[in-house]
Amino acid sequence: MPPTIVSRRASKPSPTSARRGVCPHCALLCDDVELRPAADGSHAVVANGCRRAAQRYARPAPAAEVHVAGAPTTLEDGIAAAARLLKRARQPLISGLATDVDGTRAAVNLAERCRAVLDHAHGDTLARVARLTQTRGWYATTLSEVRSRADFVLLVDTELGDRYESFARRCLGPRAGLNDDTPRTVGFIGPAGRLPRDAAPDLRLPCRSERVAEALLALLAELRGNPLAATRPAGLARRSLTELAERLRAARYATIVVTPAALGAACEPVLGAVCDIVDELNRDGRAAVLPLGGDDGAQSAVSTCTWLTGFPLRIGFGEVISYEPQAYAGTALLASGAADALVWIDAFGNCPEPPPGCPADRTIVLGATPSNLAGTCAVHITVGTPGIDHFARLVRTDAVVTLALPQQRDSGLPSIAGVLTRIAEKL
Amino acid sequence: MLTRLKGGRLYDPENGVDGEVRDLYIRSGRIVAAPADPAEANEVIDVSGRVVMAGAIDIHTHIGGGKVNIARAMLPEDHLGDRVGGRRHPHAGCGHAAPATRTAGYRYAEMGYVACFEPAMLPANARQAHLEMADTPMVDKGAYVLLGNDDFFLRALADKRDPDYLRDYVAWTLGAAQALAVKVVNPGGINAFKFNQRKLDLDENNCHYGVTPRDVLLALADAVRGLGLAHPLHIHGCNLGVPGNLATTLDTIQALDGLRAHLTHVQFHSYGTEGDRKFSSGAAPIAEMINAHDNVSLDVGQIMFGRTVTESGDSMRQFAGSAFASPKKWVGMDIECDAGCGVVPFHYRDRNFVNALQWAIGLELFLLVDDPWRIFLTTDHPNGAPFTSYPHLIRLLMDRSFRRDMLATINPDAAAASTLGSLDREYSLYEIAIMTRAAPARSLGLKGFGSLGVGARAHITVYKDDADREKMFTCPEYVFKDGQVIVRDGRVVKEVHGATHAVHPEFDRVIERDLDQYFDRYMTVSKDNLRIADDEIRDDGRGELVLHATVARP
Ligand code: SF4
Ligand SMILES: [Zn+2]
Repeated sequence: MPPTIVSRRASKPSPTSARRGVCPHCALLCDDVELRPAADGSHAVVANGCRRAAQRYARPAPAAEVHVAGAPTTLEDGIAAAARLLKRARQPLISGLATDVDGTRAAVNLAERCRAVLDHAHGDTLARVARLTQTRGWYATTLSEVRSRADFVLLVDTELGDRYESFARRCLGPRAGLNDDTPRTVGFIGPAGRLPRDAAPDLRLPCRSERVAEALLALLAELRGNPLAATRPAGLARRSLTELAERLRAARYATIVVTPAALGAACEPVLGAVCDIVDELNRDGRAAVLPLGGDDGAQSAVSTCTWLTGFPLRIGFGEVISYEPQAYAGTALLASGAADALVWIDAFGNCPEPPPGCPADRTIVLGATPSNLAGTCAVHITVGTPGIDHFARLVRTDAVVTLALPQQRDSGLPSIAGVLTRIAEKL
Repeated sequence: MLTRLKGGRLYDPENGVDGEVRDLYIRSGRIVAAPADPAEANEVIDVSGRVVMAGAIDIHTHIGGGKVNIARAMLPEDHLGDRVGGRRHPHAGCGHAAPATRTAGYRYAEMGYVACFEPAMLPANARQAHLEMADTPMVDKGAYVLLGNDDFFLRALADKRDPDYLRDYVAWTLGAAQALAVKVVNPGGINAFKFNQRKLDLDENNCHYGVTPRDVLLALADAVRGLGLAHPLHIHGCNLGVPGNLATTLDTIQALDGLRAHLTHVQFHSYGTEGDRKFSSGAAPIAEMINAHDNVSLDVGQIMFGRTVTESGDSMRQFAGSAFASPKKWVGMDIECDAGCGVVPFHYRDRNFVNALQWAIGLELFLLVDDPWRIFLTTDHPNGAPFTSYPHLIRLLMDRSFRRDMLATINPDAAAASTLGSLDREYSLYEIAIMTRAAPARSLGLKGFGSLGVGARAHITVYKDDADREKMFTCPEYVFKDGQVIVRDGRVVKEVHGATHAVHPEFDRVIERDLDQYFDRYMTVSKDNLRIADDEIRDDGRGELVLHATVARP
């Protein structure tokens, strides 16, 4: 790799006129947001977008600051100090990993150089989803298929609020169908508090999160034609389950949407049951699952790491690469003290705090937001946000579409790829 | 700097050189004419007694893109036995059926390959495929873009849009996806599966659009012809893996009616229904048909015994095949109104009648198709076997007694049902050089590849001659890429990056208006964001984009 990947690919952003952008603020990567730039480097979202986008785009460009042991210094010094720290470390951990494809490439190279373990801030969810594909697999679909083909969409305990707010607008709205123009209907199963704002499900099965897996198993039994004996499975009226089963069967293309991160430890039973339901429907009809996730660069990180090394995240470099989806949980390595140095990467500014365990004087933070940590940790470098401060490629939630995001402002902030590559060169 | 490769035995079919002892001279990455005085060479590498060929080219290997990455992620057990550390290769990685991009690049180079082509790139997934290929070092690369299952094309065909319109769309897609050629997979069938159609024959209607695979094939083959692409339409036909599909394959060749086409992994499309098990070899009639139709080329998609993973855009057929997944897991997808995919791990067993016969059918095809310029060596990596089995496959083709020994070890009923034991043909080194070098270079229009002639790129592989052809082809003594030694004694000694080959045919920009509307209405990415800019491939100097000229034909 050449030393820096600061891009010449972006045409210079024009100062004031509104323009279409690709939003990096969640893994939907909506490419229809209309942005108007302001003098401080912030942007107003003038069309499309969502509350989250409006709030994130409103952040002005932070100053390009570098701190070593709490004292302001140059980027050069920060990089040298980071390299010294990693050289001394026995078992470094590179985590957070909230970055783009180029940043992940550089992180993998750095991890190989200093024999680090690699994880992501959302590593727990990534590991759960990976385990599912490694044990049973699934039949999945992508955003445009849902937008234009799905005539029935079932939302299962989904969090479509803070993240993925535009999903309803883009994929659940009135349908210009590729198969036909019959109206799309939407079902929801889960706690009422998680009803998405802009989708008005016409079939609601209210159910506490803890009982969603149970409800899905009852639905599966219903679909298989041997309903459970219980009169109110998961506290739901029998009739509503039967109706839901009928809707799923009647759909020409049913999609079941889940947001694995919102499910926590219930991810595996819920997602597993959803996949069983999809398989059952696919015996005679058509259905697919759409998992929404992969925020803060998680999908970019996991896709890139997988093609470069053969393994999804939670890998370590020794004589060969080891893949330990449990043992290499970054939080555990830090808590136990097994990791004695940390590079924490937060280029989107959503995960500024590393998990506890690593002493401040052995912590390197590359973050997109100004942070108190700058005063205490060994090295703190303010970095640019992918698709805002520099050209970036990000992988969308469905792991199919990768978008190229042009630079939006000239902040002079370094990219993760640039910083990590320079650290690696000093090792 | 002038380098002299002294005394090698050259197999250079592009220039009709069959085993002659000649010197080669290299300057500035090219093969140059011999100087008046051989002493002008600054460097002499003695390769006397060695076999010298151009660098090899794999015309069909799944090295990058969504389904490849799904296979990697879902199969840690595939890699755990084949991890490669940073001592062995410039970067650590892993093999086997679904290798890391880097490991794939190193291993291809270590076998003497200098270029690899990803045959199934979805427009929606093209940017990722190119990122993966950019991270595949050592070899040049390129991709064939998948068309014929996307709703835009099928709708246009159903609306009876004229051929110019379809051609403009194909041209726009090639440029937007930075592709070198066009591939169709189960024409219209992946799309039909989204409408719950489970089977689609050559003359059966897609239940929604009312167009047949024959319509799709002819429209695409004609568009490719009209655009003047070097590589003809790359066809993964209907009914993959279905007993009796030999009839479909024969009909497909006839349907082309003289239009040029490349039929891929034909082994999977050469099955009859004879015998007690209703599964038999169709290699003989298919080879006969191919021998009689010089508008058609093929690659075999040979299977080898062992564990692998099948990765295909053919969601319809992979759904059917998922019943045989080993281990029991699989991933299927419907993708972006574009196509789909299915990833199914698989274990080919030599004691299993069907698998053993598949193995024999592939070899029968190799031995029964007469013209090595029209048949390419592939395992459809990793669908038939990982590409690392090529040296073994070459030995099977070159060594009759070895082949018979292997035949004696497979399921005896399959061995008895195959004519393989009676086929005496042995491939010569010259023919191997045709099918792995000269012919793929010609088929893809790669100027300067597949040749040892003056002016060619100095992509050269030097092998120690060895009666054990597997050993010989596993471990070249030297591999030169653009004149540099990149492999020595089967080990990477220099990491290089390789260029990306693509075409940007001209088209009438009016099509972009319709595409803009279509994308805005149906898709979740705008047309312009799907498009990959040239500079993304160049990537600030990390990559190189080689654009091949095309000349439109009326
Ligand atoms: S849903 Fe996500 S990608 Fe779309 S506008 Fe909101 S934050 Fe941005
Ligand atoms: Zn293939």
